[in-house]
Amino acid sequence: MTLVRVAPLAQDVDLSKTYDAVVVGSGAAGGMAAHVLTTRGLKVLMLEAGKKLPIEQELRSMQWPYDHPRRGDAPPGYHALSFNEYTIRTPPYAKNSTFKHVMSYVGGWGGSDYVKNILVDEKDHPYTGTTYAWVRARALGGKTNIWGRLALRLSDYDFKAKTHDGYGEDWPISYADLEPYYDKVDLYLGISGHKENLPHLPDSLFQRPTKLNLAEVQLRESLKKMGRVLTPYRAGVTTDGLKHNRYRSKCYGRGACGRRPGGCDIHAAFDSPTGLIYPAMDTGNLTVRPNSIAHEILVDPNTGRARGVAFLDSETRKSYEAKARVVIVAASTLESARLLLLSRSRQHPNGLGNSSGHVGHNFCEHVMGPGVTGLVKDLVGKPPTLDDGRPGGFYIPRFRNLKDRQPGFVRGYGFEGGGGFSIFPGHAFGAKGFGAQFKKDVRDHAGAFIRMGGFGEVLARYENYVDLDPDAKDAWGIPTLRFHYQFGDNERRMCEDMVVAGREMFEAAGIEVVGADDKMLTEGWSIHELGTARMGNDPKTSVLNQFQQSHDVKNLFVVDGSSHVSASCQNPTWTIMALAWRSCEYLASEFKKGNV
Amino acid sequence: MTDATNPKGETLSRREMLEVTAAAIAAPLLKQGPAAVQPALQTGPKFFTGPEFALLDELSDLIIPTDAHSPGARAAGVAAYLDFRLADSLDTEQQTKWRSGLAAVDALSKELNGQAFLQGSADQRVAVLTRIAAGEQDPKTPAEHFFQELKRSTVRAYYTSKVGIHADQQYKGNVYQRGEFAGFDAK
Repeated sequence: MTLVRVAPLAQDVDLSKTYDAVVVGSGAAGGMAAHVLTTRGLKVLMLEAGKKLPIEQELRSMQWPYDHPRRGDAPPGYHALSFNEYTIRTPPYAKNSTFKHVMSYVGGWGGSDYVKNILVDEKDHPYTGTTYAWVRARALGGKTNIWGRLALRLSDYDFKAKTHDGYGEDWPISYADLEPYYDKVDLYLGISGHKENLPHLPDSLFQRPTKLNLAEVQLRESLKKMGRVLTPYRAGVTTDGLKHNRYRSKCYGRGACGRRPGGCDIHAAFDSPTGLIYPAMDTGNLTVRPNSIAHEILVDPNTGRARGVAFLDSETRKSYEAKARVVIVAASTLESARLLLLSRSRQHPNGLGNSSGHVGHNFCEHVMGPGVTGLVKDLVGKPPTLDDGRPGGFYIPRFRNLKDRQPGFVRGYGFEGGGGFSIFPGHAFGAKGFGAQFKKDVRDHAGAFIRMGGFGEVLARYENYVDLDPDAKDAWGIPTLRFHYQFGDNERRMCEDMVVAGREMFEAAGIEVVGADDKMLTEGWSIHELGTARMGNDPKTSVLNQFQQSHDVKNLFVVDGSSHVSASCQNPTWTIMALAWRSCEYLASEFKKGNV
Repeated sequence: MTDATNPKGETLSRREMLEVTAAAIAAPLLKQGPAAVQPALQTGPKFFTGPEFALLDELSDLIIPTDAHSPGARAAGVAAYLDFRLADSLDTEQQTKWRSGLAAVDALSKELNGQAFLQGSADQRVAVLTRIAAGEQDPKTPAEHFFQELKRSTVRAYYTSKVGIHADQQYKGNVYQRGEFAGFDAK
């Protein structure tokens, strides 16, 4: 079913040879590391813990609900965790569950059959400690198979946030350092958006933007008067196509893109396999081994340097070692921290690269939940229009604590939202009564709602951290993570402000607020976990230098979101890739000079 | 493609078809479409008894009836779909809830009208449903709790059906657009 014949993935890779680099993880960060290093001639082995799935057959992006026997639901025996389960119970959430398979909450969005093989089974992958909705995708490409696609840049309001407001730490880089790499990511992967010239949300090199519908235009025009911006969803989606990539189609505005969880089976939306990994395999320099669960980074007992990675085959449970001159960790923020902590040796008794004691700490993310729903009265009873087929509706960039200083909280939040018709009229669940009038109400209001929800920066705090549980183990006998992580007062006050500000913006635009939700979702819900191996100039208070290179172990790089110093309120994927590009370019050049 | 998937009857030229590389992926799925549709009930209900099924069928069609605009829940096969899901379910608690819920409706009907729901006149049936729908926001009695579940399930089944998506909602998406997104440019 794939368009282009993809080189077979080598299950029986040659493990007798020493690779230039071994990359652990195949998501946005691992894929980018593979791309940058292989195009510079390095021989790379990529280890992915999950399977190589026939992803188009999993996603079935255009399947009509009625063409699926259970309208998209997973077979009996599968269960997705709910908000209540996350909050009433403590992890491990699948313990003693009567269900055969337990998925994270993402499986409960109304399309669980499409992601049941992408998300991990919580039964096999337990964790302990405080409340946390930890969403994991073990498959080639990781979470990029189902990501939300909002692709934003950070600015010096983020990189130099401490200078701006005194809280936390500045990043060891500035926007000027990263800008050329954001440009490279834009051009190589494609991004859709509309230029706004904002200092706090720099523009990308955009392809054609998606469009706004009537309600969204109305809100955009009104916000202009408040000095705020509503911009079409900046999506990591190629809308004009990519001549250099034969694995991806451009976006044809088809599909019920609002169907979440949902990937894009024509790969117009970026995913790591078609965007980065298959092209890297075409160089002849990349070998990919799926079903490979890395559980220790091996070090040379004499030098203390990394010499390779020990892994288990997830199917056969056999143990292997991969040898490499450089080890690149890109297993996702929390799994990367886990792998470093698991890699204890005589030289590195607290875990690899952890002389600072900061691995697992400064854990941060985005807080979400609060939002508003509005009714645009003029649109009630209007004939249906095509408002779907877009990767998203709109984004309202941060407007707090830029020039002003909020009394209740530092940092800011943005809103993601959208309005108009979609494949399922969700408002029918809230419409009262029954009968002909109910049916007409549902029909008349189907395109008249607009909704938005906030995504706010969670402050990086040393006391928010993960470590290894001394007792609990996963299905492969590997110690699990234990969470010590909670939102604080800054997040709570920010969330209160989201509802107030959201209501104010809708009302100013003449949109009647019919729902205002101030409930914070649980820790982890945004799936934007960051910061567990942060960069910095001081080896005593940071794990990595500005090139995501371990302060302690020169041939160890950690190129995913764990390196972020603060969460910003902008979605992290594009920054993860720009940073990985910059670091791997540095690494390739140092490698050739014999310096790593 | 069926007419339903492309209401405007637009077809892509061969040239465009080649450009739309994605079509190569989507086509096999579309072809298998109708075969995968829930078949009309041919062998009788699998989970519900005959009388239970008839009651559910009527209740769903009272919630979403046929009107001048589009067919209702009965035509959309809502009861058959719910019967299939419950027969397939491993959740015995859920199954019990549906059985006792339907029984509660009949019991209420006997209390109000002196006869089972389906034996009542059209007005009497609506009266029973109106009574249990009154507690929709804050259900207290078993029948009121059941109404919540019944309505939620009917809504989900109807608006994911062919009738619900195409005839009633006239949903325009899930089709290839011809190079331009629908909507307005940000200015």
